[in-house]
Amino acid sequence: MSTATTSMSPRLGRLAARVLTFLVLGIAALAITAPFLWIFRGALSGSDAELYRLPPTFDAGTLTVRNFGRVTEQVPYFRFFLNSIIVSTVVTAAQLITCSTAAYAFARLRFRGKGVLFALVIGSLMIPIQVTIVPLFLVMSKLGLTNTLWALILPGIFSAFGIFLLRQHFLGLPRGLEEAAKIDGAGQFRTFARIILPLSGPSIATLGILCFTYWWNDLLLPLVMISDTDRQTLPVGLVLLAGRFSTGSLGTIAAGITMAIVPVLVVFLAAQRYIVQSIASSGLKL
Amino acid sequence: MTTSSTLRPGVGDRSVTDPGPPAPRPRGDGAAALAFLTPSIITFLVFVLAPTVGVLVLSFYNWNLLSDGTFVGLDNFDRLIHDGRLLGVYGSTTYMALAILAVNVVLGLLLAVLLETRMPRWLRGFFRLSYLFPFVVSASAVALIWRFLLNKDLGLVNYLLGLVHVDRIDWLGSSAFAPVSVIIVNSWKTIGFSILVYIAGLQSIPDQLREAAIVDGAGAWTRFWRITFPLLSPTIFFLVVINTINSFQIFAEPRVLTQGGPGDSSRTIVEYLYDRAFGDFDLGYASAIGITFALILVVLTAIQFWFSRRWTFY
Amino acid sequence: MNIPYRKIALACATTAMAVTALAACSNGSDSASSSGAKSLEIVYWNYGPAAESGNKATADAFMAAHSDVKVTLTPVTGENWGTYYANVATLIASGKHPDLMVISGEGAQFVHSNNLVQPINKYLDKDSAAKAIVGDIAKGLIDGFTVKGDVVTLAYGWNDMVVYYNTDLFKKAGIAPPKPDWTWDDFKATAKKLTADTNGDGKPDQYGFTWASNEIFPGIMPWVANAGGNLTSDDVCQATADTPQVNKAVSFLNGMITEGIAPAPMPMSDVFTRFQNGQIAMFGAGRWPIATFLPAGFKAFDIQLYPKGDTYKTVFGGAGYPILKSSKNPDLAWEYQKFTVSNEIEKQYVGTPDKPGDSIPSRRSVAQTISKVGVPPANSDLYYNSIDDYPTLVPYPAPAKYSTFESTVLRHLQQIFAGEASVSDGLKSMQSELSSIVTC
Repeated sequence: MSTATTSMSPRLGRLAARVLTFLVLGIAALAITAPFLWIFRGALSGSDAELYRLPPTFDAGTLTVRNFGRVTEQVPYFRFFLNSIIVSTVVTAAQLITCSTAAYAFARLRFRGKGVLFALVIGSLMIPIQVTIVPLFLVMSKLGLTNTLWALILPGIFSAFGIFLLRQHFLGLPRGLEEAAKIDGAGQFRTFARIILPLSGPSIATLGILCFTYWWNDLLLPLVMISDTDRQTLPVGLVLLAGRFSTGSLGTIAAGITMAIVPVLVVFLAAQRYIVQSIASSGLKL
Repeated sequence: MTTSSTLRPGVGDRSVTDPGPPAPRPRGDGAAALAFLTPSIITFLVFVLAPTVGVLVLSFYNWNLLSDGTFVGLDNFDRLIHDGRLLGVYGSTTYMALAILAVNVVLGLLLAVLLETRMPRWLRGFFRLSYLFPFVVSASAVALIWRFLLNKDLGLVNYLLGLVHVDRIDWLGSSAFAPVSVIIVNSWKTIGFSILVYIAGLQSIPDQLREAAIVDGAGAWTRFWRITFPLLSPTIFFLVVINTINSFQIFAEPRVLTQGGPGDSSRTIVEYLYDRAFGDFDLGYASAIGITFALILVVLTAIQFWFSRRWTFY
Repeated sequence: MNIPYRKIALACATTAMAVTALAACSNGSDSASSSGAKSLEIVYWNYGPAAESGNKATADAFMAAHSDVKVTLTPVTGENWGTYYANVATLIASGKHPDLMVISGEGAQFVHSNNLVQPINKYLDKDSAAKAIVGDIAKGLIDGFTVKGDVVTLAYGWNDMVVYYNTDLFKKAGIAPPKPDWTWDDFKATAKKLTADTNGDGKPDQYGFTWASNEIFPGIMPWVANAGGNLTSDDVCQATADTPQVNKAVSFLNGMITEGIAPAPMPMSDVFTRFQNGQIAMFGAGRWPIATFLPAGFKAFDIQLYPKGDTYKTVFGGAGYPILKSSKNPDLAWEYQKFTVSNEIEKQYVGTPDKPGDSIPSRRSVAQTISKVGVPPANSDLYYNSIDDYPTLVPYPAPAKYSTFESTVLRHLQQIFAGEASVSDGLKSMQSELSSIVTC
């Protein structure tokens, strides 16, 4: 009898803990995704009036994809999309190269002035772009690059955050790796490309995701640097959809947001899985 | 313990001035370092340092973008002292930033740890994706939707709260709740990233350690505080630093949701500075504010690094 | 932290010198492309597709009429007029020399005090065609763009503040359409009848009236003007925000909130959308809402004058293409400005019922065609008549630091309407802050 109760209660306790765990996870998931359900529902709504009704109503019969058509009518969506893809991928690719090489130098090489340089890198992390945007614009215009995609790409290539992130990772790799490489006669570049990089998948993927989403969503630079509509990016497209004093149709804006989310989501999903997989299977768990 | 900590993934830190793993005093890798650093150095000089120096120079001028600037010495810094709103704005910024930081670091950890519970793969994937979702969307676009939902008298959130007999809350218009709305909307957007980083950190903790603890009869609570938490400390530190920098710099959410008000209760320093620059065309003064702000962040981060040396476990 | 500060300082100083040297080198060589051929560069606010097509149509029509002129349009983005001005200023600071730029009435003082524009007085004096045009434009519109005797520009379009009301909601509540001579009391009684709980949860979800929380112009200004006050003195040299008149207007609006006839204030965009969906029965704005309402298929609305307080004054704002000092071809630029108020172009602002214009044409003869063309609302003649028939509020309070002025006023109003400051305390602190912003 007594043994039964003592074995029951921990089991009960464990069950309660499990229920509680899933409750918390579920509520969090719902709370975080709910606004998106509303956005997607708005994108498919036949008239804005449905979105205002309290309590909210849902009538599958009134769903329509017309709002997506409106987006492409009102702004050159595919042009914006292409520009956003170009800017985000070029910045991400360039940033991964500059950050990984610089981080390698900071983490694994010895040279004079390393402390100063790294302090400058960290220091620049503290300066928000809103502070430097005017001088940055002047630099761009001296270079004759305003109103070109270069004005959106070049300022993103250097990333203090990226260097910081990757340096932390490279510091954690065992020193023996290079020594082995050196014995094999590999130079610094080969050590970096053949040994260090392959062990850094998760960190590089994390940086890639962060970089891509940041530049995909950046609004300030295109607003300031670009004047031609044809060279704008998607976030500006959303501003244009919102219209003068943001008086555009909510359904159309919701459709625009949806169309801007999907591509990033695809990149994100792919990279997110890769991070988790590579953590599980890479040489990290030696 | 030592082996596992040197093998943790790239989310953690030693310190700014960590000289790197020790090596016998060598000739140095100057040439290689130069080659590796050149792309960063060039882009840094032209697109970061030059504009920053520009800001420094500007802070000594009175310039409105259109007329020629006049040199005013330290006037702009003198004005900082007499600016009656600046302290209040710093106060609101700090309040919101610390709250966002806390939500990310604490709630993020909780959710990440709970996600370690045994469950079907698809369910774990579903949860993880749900949390990451807001991270991919443009802050200003989403803030527009939130503003609609949080409307006091006609918004969905208050309607739903009304169903459980909560009085209408002035989410965007009262100085008690306006900053709370900014905190909610920003944390909602960023927490997915913190969870992702925690997941990576958690997965780097060798299973053997936890299994050994289970064999020793340690409960979940003890295992968390004795093993998971210490081994996670570099990750936590990383998130504290990154979230501090990000949350002090928020701009889009208060601007769209509350226009910084009422009063300055939800105004961030970046928004204040932006208004001085592009509302008042007072570039010199805006630059001076920018410099104080950057200095504060530098000091904050330095303190965090200093603190981390005593606190993180390696 | 073990950072060698001296070395950092040295590095910074070196870069600073390099940057200034760079800037000095390139400063002199900025002559660029203007090779003497006739060309005009026009900067406009690209707030959406309509802005682009409108400006392009004007430019194309001008080029069709002047085959030897090349017009370049430079759209400048911005989330509102303020950021648009900032971006234009950045553009000019970087060495561009546009000939004309679109400005709104609030910008007139700003461009004038920054010495950006060439006044058009001399053209108005000697150009006989211009005289005919000016005769067809309400005097208030000319005065509104006159700063210290300088006419900054002719306005091509303008807006005055009127009350929009949802005709369906009026019918449902059995209320007769408002009359032009209604008073504040009538207004409040009407708004009260239109406030209702339609879903039965015990709290109102339909409100009689609201106003934009993020703008002064369609927000408190009509009320302040009709109480006989203004936020600045007539010469825009002094703030007058804590006068009994302003107090009366703000107290009236505040009372609507505390009595539950008006919801907590929200930005203009939210007001628009909630009006279309019957959650708000009345709000105030210029003619621009119809450019949103009509294409969305919403036609159940009409307009009326603001209710009369101690007086009635028309509050308005306009937009024009001032000639910039940087123009190398001011005479041609003047031709362009004149062209923007020609019959041909002004017709665009009338629009059609499906594709309405978003402001009122400045030319009286053109504006009077709105109701003939059949562009809703039914009462459209009111738009132009109000500026001819009633004393106008001249000038609309737009000091040179307009953006600072507006954000300061709004910040204090936000506190008052949230119930966190009393009307008189709020206005007092508004006044004390404004006194250093509104100066001459």
